Parts: sequence; structure tokens; C-alpha cells
Amino acid sequence: MNTSEAKEKLLFYRGRIDDADPRFQEALAQARRDPELAEWLREQASCYHVIRSKLREVEPPGDLAEKIMQNRPILFRRDSKQILKLAAAIIISASITAGSMKLWQRDTHRLIQGREIVVKGEVLDLTCYVAYNASGPEHASCARDCIRSGLPVGIKGENGKVYLLTGKDAHVNAELADYAAKIVTIRGKETARAGFAQIQVEEIRKF
Amino acid sequence: MSADPEFENLVKLYYRDLYRFGFSLTGSEVDATDLTQETFYIWANKRHQLRNPANVKGWLFTTLHREFLKICRHRKRVVYEPINEGAQNLPHVYADVVNRIDARTLLNFLGQIDECYRAPLVLYYLEDLSYKQIGNVLAIPLGTVQSRIARAKIKLFQLLSETKSRTAV
Repeated sequence: MNTSEAKEKLLFYRGRIDDADPRFQEALAQARRDPELAEWLREQASCYHVIRSKLREVEPPGDLAEKIMQNRPILFRRDSKQILKLAAAIIISASITAGSMKLWQRDTHRLIQGREIVVKGEVLDLTCYVAYNASGPEHASCARDCIRSGLPVGIKGENGKVYLLTGKDAHVNAELADYAAKIVTIRGKETARAGFAQIQVEEIRKF
Repeated sequence: MSADPEFENLVKLYYRDLYRFGFSLTGSEVDATDLTQETFYIWANKRHQLRNPANVKGWLFTTLHREFLKICRHRKRVVYEPINEGAQNLPHVYADVVNRIDARTLLNFLGQIDECYRAPLVLYYLEDLSYKQIGNVLAIPLGTVQSRIARAKIKLFQLLSETKSRTAV
């Protein structure tokens, strides 16, 4: 390997990061024998470290980490074991009650399954909203307490439509309490029972 | 909001590196912030798809780079001059010349390099990634990684040597 060929190889050499890479060994050996090549390599290494340190001077905004954590989407993934347990329970329960269901016919309100939707709007404490039309920032503190205590939580979309928010297997109050009276985007499955619209929440994103 | 220690630890560990990568690619604080946030957002949604947790760093950088490419597609394409690779074309630049310029000027120079060359060069300088890992992050073969780094480095050194000439005048 001559000096020129060694330079082609050492153009990529970054010191300790590449020390384990066997492709550089022969060129490094050449640099140990050739003082001019060694000097070229030293200068290359100095430039590399100066440029690296300049680029690493860049610091992110002070609140970036906090912003990222605040905007973390909350997913409600189903544990497969829980799903199986639930499915088994449903099948057993359905078998036991199937006979009696035939005898007990009455006008029940079925859950009407809908499509997946995305709704952006204000998180509501539904009890205060329905009973007293209370919403907005001035009601945020009360709404937060009500949602945290387990009262129904909802969202009022930009088109004015209000949905009850539920999880698939659990309540979503704990996840939404801190967003009371704030604008969030909810993705989930739209369902309805007895005319009441609800969303089974899959994802919450703060806006 | 309920805590997610895994997410918080990951953010603390990598948000600076990702931000620097984003800033070096875009030259914009706003874009770098958006890219970093979007990267973690995507990770939070898809983390269960990541089979090997040891690859999380590479996965994050790959994701940020993909998001960056999406931005590029929506912006005006700049035509860059071709660069001949090879160490003989590398202008001679002394470290003390580089030392005299500030990070902002360096980032401006990076911005003058075609983004397909810029991304491998930034990873070459910023992160302790092997060339194979850089290839994995950018989804390009090892040979292409080296070829692009060589071309980008020559272009960067040309710009640095022009600074040296201007300083000398």
C-alpha cells in the first residue's frame, strides 16, 4: 500500500471509533512508517475532533425534553392474556345466559359499533357540563377533580358534538384528568348506546 | 398524567443527540425541535414493534432521518454540483482554521451540501456509530456510506478552505 492508497483509507479513520475495524490496520501501519502520512493523519484527526466538538456545541432548547414528555401519546394496548381471559369469560357467560335470553325479550339498548374517528376538542367533566353547562378554563380545576374522582369524562369536538370517553377495558379518567378543560386530540372507535355517542379511546394527544 | 419511566429515560438519554442530528440536517432550531418531538412521538406509538431493544438508538436516528426526508420532499429541491471523491481532492485545512469559525458557520456550510451527502457526514462527525450502523440508519449500503462521506467531506473542506482564503485576504 502506497501513501496515496493509505490516504484513501484513512480519510474515514476517526480514532477509537474505528480502531477495531480491520480495514484501517494496514493503512495505519503505513502511517507509522511514513512521517509525512503520519503528519497528514494527525491533521485530519485534529480537524475531525474540532468539527465534532463544534457540532456538539449545539444545545437543544431548555424545555424540549419536558415538551416531549408532555406530548407523549397514551396508548391503551390490550394485554393478550387479559383478552383471552375476557373472551373465555364472555363465552362461558354467554352460554349460561343464552337460554334465558330467549325467554327474556325486551327492548334493550345495544351498543352500536362505529368506525375509528379522530376528534379534537375540549376535555369535559360530563356531569358538570350536562347538569350546569360548566366548561372552559374557569371550570378547569373543578373538572380535573371531578374526572379524577371517577365522574364521566367527555370531549366536545370542534363541531360541538360531545362524546363520552371510555377505555376498552378500563376507565380513562386517570389519563385525562390533567387535560381537563384543555384541547386534546382523541383517536378511537366511535360507538353509541341509546343515542349517546362515545369514543373507546385508543390514543390521546395533547395539542 | 401517568408516568412512563421507559419513555422518560429514553428521552433523557437521546433527545440531545437527536436534536443535534436534526439541527445539523436542517440548520433550523424549529425544524430540529419538531423532528426530535416527532421521532419520540412515533417511538411511543410503535415501540412494541421494535424487536431488539438494543437497536433503539439506531431506530430513533433512522426515524428522524425519514421524517427529515419527508420535509425535503415538500421543499424546493436545490441542484447541487457533483463532487469527485478521493483523498487527492481533499483540500488541506488546518484544525486551527476550523477552530476559528463558530458552530453556526459550520452548520451553514453543512446546509450547502446535498442532503443525501449531509446525513452520513453528520453521523460520521456527531455519533460514535460504525460505518455499518450509519448504513443501517440511512438504509444505504456500506460502500455508499463511505462514498457519500468522502464527497461531503471534500465539499465541506472546500468551503472551509474558502473561509481560510477570505480570512487571509
